[in-house]
Amino acid sequence: MFKLNPHAGSECAMKVSLVWSSPKPERTIAVAMRRCYSTKVIEDIESELEQKGTEYWKFLLTKCLQDRSLDVLEHFTMSLLVEGAAEVEVSRLVRRFPYIHATRLNEADWLFSLNARTLVELWRDREGKPFAESVVAELDRKKVSPLFNELVFGDRIHAR
Amino acid sequence: MVTESMRVKLLYNTDLEALKKVLAEKRVPFDPEALMDHVVYMFEIEDCSRVTTHQLVRHRVASYDQESQRFSAATKEGAVTPPSIQANEVASRAYGEALKSVYSAYEKMVAAGVPKEDARYILPTAIKTKLVMTINARSLMHVIWQRTALQAQWEIRELVTSLYDLAREATPELWAKIIER
Repeated sequence: MFKLNPHAGSECAMKVSLVWSSPKPERTIAVAMRRCYSTKVIEDIESELEQKGTEYWKFLLTKCLQDRSLDVLEHFTMSLLVEGAAEVEVSRLVRRFPYIHATRLNEADWLFSLNARTLVELWRDREGKPFAESVVAELDRKKVSPLFNELVFGDRIHAR
Repeated sequence: MVTESMRVKLLYNTDLEALKKVLAEKRVPFDPEALMDHVVYMFEIEDCSRVTTHQLVRHRVASYDQESQRFSAATKEGAVTPPSIQANEVASRAYGEALKSVYSAYEKMVAAGVPKEDARYILPTAIKTKLVMTINARSLMHVIWQRTALQAQWEIRELVTSLYDLAREATPELWAKIIER
């Protein structure tokens, strides 16, 4: 449970649950990255990534973070159920981060979709950080993207 | 006639059932229009021309990662020939000669030590390319409307028709209700 903007003095607390996310997110990011540098067909890129395993995905992800080539993160997408959110707070967040898609389900519940690049941008933003932390905690809980979470948010360096 | 070897593959798409389950839990009726921002498709596109990918990436609400000519060597086999040129003997000969000359210059420059990123300045936009594209249903619908119109060019029309076929096959319920409207 968290407040979207801890500085606004709102008492509204929200709950974030993961509805769906890209399969094998770290490998998806690695596919996008290899696509830029390889002439191979996609099946060969995928086999190469499976064969080399998670250490190689970690290497590629580290490289894209070091190079600040965050566009490849956009292929890791997720949908979230956000419960207990006031319209004014969601509006503020969506105005600041226009690549978050928010659909109101009822009075205080929303369906959010965003990609991992937007998540990183939220994490770096004072107002977006509480929401980002809640999403990252949910990804951790569901064990969706352990490598990604460790590398991007774990040491508090790259995503700063 | 498509680009002899253009290939489009769906790498993943959002699980519509997972979204519908949330709607059901919240007692919200299924409305495809409301879910179009939330259903995402990731496609691999192979061996279409750079002419077409220049048109495609003008649709900005999507994510693209494309094979880079800075690092990949070009070959003269990798060029698309439009049907109007294929069907015309004179044009076909002129096209083939020009490609041969361009690739010969490219190979000479690379052999002489010019970096690929600089030698590529001479390459034609007919060159085949590969890319991944991630796009949501709303943005894809806009691309479909724009690029399957009769005035759109033949290659992007064929590409976008393939994207539409794959998206519709993966999430028929979403697209069927939209088409009905």
